[in-house]
Amino acid sequence: MTSTIPGTSVPDPDLELPRRKSGWSLQQILLAAALILPNMILLILFTYRPLVDNFRISFFQWNLSSTRPPLFVGFRNYADWFSDPGTPTIVMNTVIFTVAAVAGSMILGLALALLLDQKLFGRAAVRSMIFAPYVISGAAIGVAFQFVFDPQFGLIQDLLRRIGVESPNFYQDPKWALFMVTVTYIWKNLGYVFVIYLAALQGRRKDLDEAAEIDDTSPVRRLFRVVLPQLRQTTFFLSVTVLLSSFQVFDLIQVMTRGGPLGNGTMTMVYQVYEESFNNNRAGYGAAVASIMFLIVLVITVIQVRLQDRQD
Amino acid sequence: MIGRRGFLALAGLSAAAATVGLSACAGGTGSTAGDGQKGNGTLQFWSNHPGSSKALEEQLIAEWTKQHPDVPVQLVDGGSSYEDLATKFNAALAGGDLPDVIVASDVTWFNFALNQATAPLDDLWKEAGVDANSYVDTLREDYAFGGKHYGMPYSRSTTLMYWNSDVLAQAGLEKRGPQTWQEFADWAPKLVQAMGGKPALVIPDGSNYLDWYFQGMIWTFGGKYSNEWTPTFNDPKSIEAGKFLQDQYKAGHIGIEKDANNTFGIGGAAGLLQSTGSLTGLTKAAKFPFITTYLPGPKPGATTGGAGLAVPNGISHERKINAVKFIDFLTNMQNTITFSQGTGYVPVRKGAENEAAMKTYLEQNPNAFTAIKQMADGNTAPQDYARVFVPGGGKRIGGGLDKITLGGEDVATVFASMQQETQQSYDRDIKPLL
Repeated sequence: MTSTIPGTSVPDPDLELPRRKSGWSLQQILLAAALILPNMILLILFTYRPLVDNFRISFFQWNLSSTRPPLFVGFRNYADWFSDPGTPTIVMNTVIFTVAAVAGSMILGLALALLLDQKLFGRAAVRSMIFAPYVISGAAIGVAFQFVFDPQFGLIQDLLRRIGVESPNFYQDPKWALFMVTVTYIWKNLGYVFVIYLAALQGRRKDLDEAAEIDDTSPVRRLFRVVLPQLRQTTFFLSVTVLLSSFQVFDLIQVMTRGGPLGNGTMTMVYQVYEESFNNNRAGYGAAVASIMFLIVLVITVIQVRLQDRQD
Repeated sequence: MIGRRGFLALAGLSAAAATVGLSACAGGTGSTAGDGQKGNGTLQFWSNHPGSSKALEEQLIAEWTKQHPDVPVQLVDGGSSYEDLATKFNAALAGGDLPDVIVASDVTWFNFALNQATAPLDDLWKEAGVDANSYVDTLREDYAFGGKHYGMPYSRSTTLMYWNSDVLAQAGLEKRGPQTWQEFADWAPKLVQAMGGKPALVIPDGSNYLDWYFQGMIWTFGGKYSNEWTPTFNDPKSIEAGKFLQDQYKAGHIGIEKDANNTFGIGGAAGLLQSTGSLTGLTKAAKFPFITTYLPGPKPGATTGGAGLAVPNGISHERKINAVKFIDFLTNMQNTITFSQGTGYVPVRKGAENEAAMKTYLEQNPNAFTAIKQMADGNTAPQDYARVFVPGGGKRIGGGLDKITLGGEDVATVFASMQQETQQSYDRDIKPLL
């Protein structure tokens, strides 16, 4: 039985125009599900489930070695972290490292990409050399760079000694230790930024370059007015991904300084998660630090996305 | 539809979640012993190969396999340090396959015992026919808790002093170590002069167990890290020891280095405060003659340390029995002598020094005898609870000692902070479980 709204007429099905197909066929839906579901399941199992689990654990006092059930402590782990006298140093280390790593690798990566976008002799070999460290394990690089920074036998002390300057002790002065880890990290990850920028440079509109050249625009003006605006999307992409990866640096710190010197000289938040969870047997506290980190990264990412939206 | 920025936001979320996953990666909360894991028939021995002993361990395992072909053993790399191995074991406890035997250090064994992650061994010894009394008493008793034992001595060490003999002679000093820290302070200017301004003694920094090396020094001043569970950093004598260390560092008499072995080995310091476990490596590396000596007194002025072997609680009874038999074999008289000669660690069975093989070795290598004699003479003592039993104790104290030496911070303030943090950790993490 069909009901009609007063004042309207029932259309004659025979007279109805052929409707445009807007829905997906069952076959398409099944194909999409077959393609998406495996990844989705893996993502849920190995990324989002631990995320939820982490938040849950952060409300417990839990020793990983213990066979006893974890003790519910509410927000105590969070309160402890905020009131810990070491927290400002750890947050500051994380901020300094992240800002320096993001800015350093992006500026240097862009500079190298601009340079090697030119037709230079041997540029293919140089490109490979710049990218190579990115695929080497951080732990291996950490070990190798100890021979660079060692204040007694390292490469840097040798170079400085030749010009009559005493090498700083990179392992015992917290500022220099953080500098050492940051420089090593930038060196390792430069190849990633470089390759992405290089690809973007090679895909840019060359006619704009030619037009600028015909107008006799200076190289600096051309860089800022013609080249860089075309790299905005790439810069945004890199700023997000490099920030996320540098926030999570662990291997270099573990190999080079173990969070020291002076207790927490190079301790970052992600290293603190490891230290508290596995060495101090405070998995709940470690989970709380990880949750705080997650929220910080989330907020920064959202701000970046919003800023990009506004620019667009 | 999801756009590029949406995708990036999602990627950010996933990456951030992956970070968070670090602390949740061990799975659910709590691990259960249950009836015990049965295993796959191969005994899993997790080791970090203390004292670069991997080849030695493989050799001893090959010997075991000859004698016990029905119980094959697999040597599994557990990381490069005791802490790495503890992390790996923690992950296994939270949901993985448990090993049969693990190396548990002076710092890590207690947490496992307190939380019932490793098995009490006394009943297993009886069942497996192990003569526990044949182990050196002090080394065996280091693993006692609540009237039971949770480990068997393996790569056991003490702190030792290493002195460059040529420099001692050049400084006009006797060929021996200082008998007190005050005597060291008197010697130091002469040694520094003989070294052309380089330190008289080098000690590893706080990230490399300075907290272990300093423990003997603090005892000789009448101080302690703790009196059982009561922290005693605030004790005036503890603070006096801290000030002594700081003064000697400031005066250039003591150097604090990341790789103190290397510094000493290339002639960067007249003396070295290190473990017995470094003896074999230094004997091969150093290009000059050196002697090993006791740590300064009054007794006790040195700590025991190193690691033992423990058995997970969550494996089946049959596996536990095999594990205990394997440990007994690995540390029997012949093998502990082989291990000691190959690494520098002390033999863990009573009377090893009287065995022909060891006697000959000690005659040829008098430096190796020092640690054994130091223990027999009562210059060693078990460590303070604040370092080895309170979670994060070693790192906390090491960081504090770095602050007063490398950082030049006020000793009383730093020690007060360690006092408070140790007490907090005890109240929160230990007291409820005792």
